[in-house]
Amino acid sequence: MTTLRLAALAALVPLAMLIGVAIGGAALEPGDVVRALLHPAAGGDAGIIVWQLRVPRVAIAATVGAALALAGTLLQSLLRNPLVDPYLTGVASGAGASIAIAVTVGVAPVLVPPLGFCSGLATAVLVAVLARRGPRLDPERLVLAGVSLSALLSAFITLAIERVARGTASEAILAWLAGSLAGRGWSDLAAASPEAIAGALLGAATIPALNVLRLGEGRAASLGVDVVRLQWVLLIASTLLTAAAVALAGLLGFVGLVVPHLARRVVGADLRVLVPASVLVGASLVVLADALARTLAAPAEIPLGVLLAFVGVPTFLVLYLRGGARGYA
Amino acid sequence: MRSSLALDRVAVARGGRALLTDVSFTVRGGVVALLGPNGVGKTTLLRAIAGLIAPVAGTITLDGTPVQNLAPRVRARSIALVEPAEPVLAALTVGDAVASARFPHHRWWEWEATAEDDAAVGDALARTGLEAFRAREIGTLSAGERQRVWIALALAQHASVVLLDEPTSHLDLKASVETLQLVREIAAGGAPVIAVLHQLEEAAAFADRVIVLGAGGVVADGAPAAALTSETIERAYGVAVTVERRPEGLAFHRNTTRV
Repeated sequence: MTTLRLAALAALVPLAMLIGVAIGGAALEPGDVVRALLHPAAGGDAGIIVWQLRVPRVAIAATVGAALALAGTLLQSLLRNPLVDPYLTGVASGAGASIAIAVTVGVAPVLVPPLGFCSGLATAVLVAVLARRGPRLDPERLVLAGVSLSALLSAFITLAIERVARGTASEAILAWLAGSLAGRGWSDLAAASPEAIAGALLGAATIPALNVLRLGEGRAASLGVDVVRLQWVLLIASTLLTAAAVALAGLLGFVGLVVPHLARRVVGADLRVLVPASVLVGASLVVLADALARTLAAPAEIPLGVLLAFVGVPTFLVLYLRGGARGYA
Repeated sequence: MRSSLALDRVAVARGGRALLTDVSFTVRGGVVALLGPNGVGKTTLLRAIAGLIAPVAGTITLDGTPVQNLAPRVRARSIALVEPAEPVLAALTVGDAVASARFPHHRWWEWEATAEDDAAVGDALARTGLEAFRAREIGTLSAGERQRVWIALALAQHASVVLLDEPTSHLDLKASVETLQLVREIAAGGAPVIAVLHQLEEAAAFADRVIVLGAGGVVADGAPAAALTSETIERAYGVAVTVERRPEGLAFHRNTTRV
């Protein structure tokens, strides 16, 4: 039964990607899209639009969705808190603040994404150091440190927007804050993939131990889970995944928090199934949302983060509140 | 082969505060009740025996090997620890929870349950009377039923020593008796059991041996009738008690009715 549901979710991804490639600002006939997909080397207008614009963008959307959903699932399980979002580790606000400051002081645009990535990781390290109690991470301290530091860094972003001259610079910051895949291409995906893959592999290796952690930290420890090592591996994995997603799409709230819940409703709480299910749901969701973001107000784009929040949050609230919250007791 | 658990001049501390300073005993089988006043260090000692924390001094060995030196999964294949209430994912089913006991028997890349796992889980559920509860979510269970789940977990773990921290706290009389009968069955199966208990009557009725801990170390160690005397109880708890030997077991009466 669970396998069947997982298979259905797996079928959703190529379907969403096909829709994502088929629709867009430029009106292409479905036949042209299919022809371009089947003959990558054929070139032509359709070929360029499909292979240089739509396919990379769909691939990036899928990667971002999968990475955020995976990071959210791992962190929620680690901290045993269903309200945890992957941005909690400070990756997003750290990257955002440095990008805002860099844009304000006029750092060369080519340096901005790597700077954002590094500051994101640095912030996550700082949050982890603050959350330490002896060798182990204290889940409560992690939440507290992440929320406080994020608030502080958000203040820097606001200050930067307020100070910067109106125009392209503030637009760059706002576009990042609103979350968008506009203008992203193959090179961006290539730059973010290694982190995402490393994070995914590290996360996947912890799944059996994470399943035992559902019984509580003390019980997991007495069942042979090295809790301290598990905590650090998962923190590193989710930070890498989140940093990759943030570098590609800016701030996309909602995905990392909500997709794990949606997936849990479909396949249950066994992480061996829940983790792949979250990845599949996250990828499909962001691909479809981005397709809508590109087409609803074409030729203009609706910021992806805004669209996800408008459509996703009410849907989630209805589902979650009607289904009843199930946490630890 | 029966396992032998030996504590030699063990000292434990919690949060930098020294609790027990000199505890030595060896356990080879049966049910051993660990008694003593609140805060004396029973739980901390049990966690040290389980290898979860290091003793400040002395050694704890299982069949000659210090438990501190065992890798986490090796240790979990040898020692099972049942601790009192810790929050658990409410949506977890009884079957899934008990199946977690097989974690130490797997290498990290082995994700699927083997026939041996299924047999161990099935047997543990049967012995604890939880077969009908397999699909029930833990959040829906009573305190007594939950306690049976944790004991089933220890059974499925196939450990050679079972440690229980206050297995009867929060349980009513019937659930307590059922739990302690299960504990006796575990010991009858060959695995020594060390249980931290609070009720002297329970210890006297169900344990083969009683170790009374007082400030610093062991106040008495022996069969219940020998170890639980007015003198040892007063030394450990600071309360004057009359011990009455009845045909059905020991009874304890506090000498002063007013405090």
